[in-house]
Amino acid sequence: MKLKTKKLSSDKLLIAFFYFLLTCISLICLFPIVFAIVGSFSTEAEVAKNGFTLFPKTLSLDTYKYVFQAQGSKLVNAYKNSIIVTVGGTLISIIVTITYAYVITVKDFKFGKFLAFFAYFTMIFNGGMLPWYLITTKYFGLKDSLLALMLPYAMNVFNMYLMRNFIKGLPYELVESAKIDGSGHFRILFQMILPLSKAGIATIVLFYALQYWNDFYLPLMLINKEKFYTIQYILYKMMANIQFLASNPSSSMASHITLPTQTIKMAITCIAIGPIILLYPFVQKHFVKGVTVGALKG
Amino acid sequence: MFQKEGYKKIRKKNKFVQQWPLYLLSLPGILALIAFSYLPMAGIVLVFKQYNFKGGIFGSPWADPIYKNFKFFFNNFSTAMRSTGLTAMYNILFFIVGTIFAVSIAVMLSEVSKKFFIKISQSLMFLPYFISWMVIGAILYALINAETGLLNQILRSFGKPAFDYYAYPKAWILILVIANTWQSCGYSSIIYYGVISGIDTSLYEAARVDGASKWQCILKITLPLLRPTIVILFLLSIGNMLKGNLNMIIGLTNLNPVLLPTTDLIDVFVYRSGVRNGEMAFASAISLYQSIFGLILVLTANKIAGKFDKESTLF
Repeated sequence: MKLKTKKLSSDKLLIAFFYFLLTCISLICLFPIVFAIVGSFSTEAEVAKNGFTLFPKTLSLDTYKYVFQAQGSKLVNAYKNSIIVTVGGTLISIIVTITYAYVITVKDFKFGKFLAFFAYFTMIFNGGMLPWYLITTKYFGLKDSLLALMLPYAMNVFNMYLMRNFIKGLPYELVESAKIDGSGHFRILFQMILPLSKAGIATIVLFYALQYWNDFYLPLMLINKEKFYTIQYILYKMMANIQFLASNPSSSMASHITLPTQTIKMAITCIAIGPIILLYPFVQKHFVKGVTVGALKG
Repeated sequence: MFQKEGYKKIRKKNKFVQQWPLYLLSLPGILALIAFSYLPMAGIVLVFKQYNFKGGIFGSPWADPIYKNFKFFFNNFSTAMRSTGLTAMYNILFFIVGTIFAVSIAVMLSEVSKKFFIKISQSLMFLPYFISWMVIGAILYALINAETGLLNQILRSFGKPAFDYYAYPKAWILILVIANTWQSCGYSSIIYYGVISGIDTSLYEAARVDGASKWQCILKITLPLLRPTIVILFLLSIGNMLKGNLNMIIGLTNLNPVLLPTTDLIDVFVYRSGVRNGEMAFASAISLYQSIFGLILVLTANKIAGKFDKESTLF
């Protein structure tokens, strides 16, 4: 009896410790984001004097006002580009991915096996960055346009396999019975598969949307004209200027000049993650479910 | 008999009629794969070319001698090897540290029982996965820069001198590992959490009856049952051993030349010499070497996976 209570209390201690650790990890995950938000509401003068803190003495909207006054049209344009690319790109990708994923799950379609390998092979072997860059820019002319920020990501094989696994997990009898009823593939896909795989679709929509929203690889490679800058790329350009100044050890400038753009960077950071933070609570539950199903079946 | 053959013919025809939508449905995907994956593979011939802008990949003249670009590659051998070493080192570190965190999180999540708590902490831990490296880089800068960074404010308040992380390449090994773990540990814990919730609960009940404590259950039941998953993910990561995350390095360091001794991954090296400096053909030699070794690694890993467990081969 005594032994049992001892064991129970040590178990309780362990669980309490788990609660504590998980809380700590969660807070660490949240901290940088809160830090950026607080930083964006700090005043430039205070940051210049005391540096960034989690608890600034005054909070102000000055930075945001300044950002929108000085760079307003640029930012709005970049935001518009980001939204167009995210919405348009996700739409294209979803269509390409779901149709392909459906085709390779059809059981008596011989060509499907080849298609599965055709997609898989690109995961294990690729031509590398430079041939890709030259083909995209020189042969397809995908350069300095919004389409250039969408088409190269049209098909993500990983997401395609996620979707395939999800469709494979659906009860096969349903599809079979539809076939006996004489339904064609279009009907099966659009009227049966799609409504049944909402969680899977939600997951890949989220993955694609994030990929497009967060991307700065494509703008880095394919965009020169300011007209087509996205919000991530604006952030990149800003960081590029500031870090160059701050990290040049041979120049004595860095340690003497206080850079005036500290809080602006935080403000643009917040503008860039804003939509994610706002939409996150609504999408994350689908996401967990979709990833678990997709990953485990793979 | 004739009837049977005729029936077969009709069925064959029917099959094609039935299946034409499948060809149509897969067409966009096929085109995307050809355009952005298979044509670049053909573009590998670049490595044997004397690249000029006008000719492009296929129109430029052949290099003379044909292995000229590889000669360049071997002349820069030490840089190429440094990149290879760094890429492999980071991938191994990322995997080890990342797995320790992901498995711990999954185990802890499966032991705590309050649904509400699990939901909230899971959401918070996934959040970093949704944030771009560019944004993480901007926040990191605000945290650690020498003048206004939070970390250096804390150092100063203890009377210690500020530390300029952007001038010490070695510090970045730690910074990159922390940043990578921070970004992905919540996400990677999903898989392990899924596996744990699939474990037969009667195993635990039996162990409890035999007087095992929670901690013993974790050590003796949960972790051994997670082992196959860890092995599979490890094998998968071997296949990606030579892939460097260019986005991460650009986002966090902005290709800061001071930090290159510890951040010059293969992809960074290729980007720097190829896209920035225009040494297309030379850089593609490194790229080809990366692709081929990557393929060999994947095939080897798959073979080992097959020996370990037939079910777990990747293809």
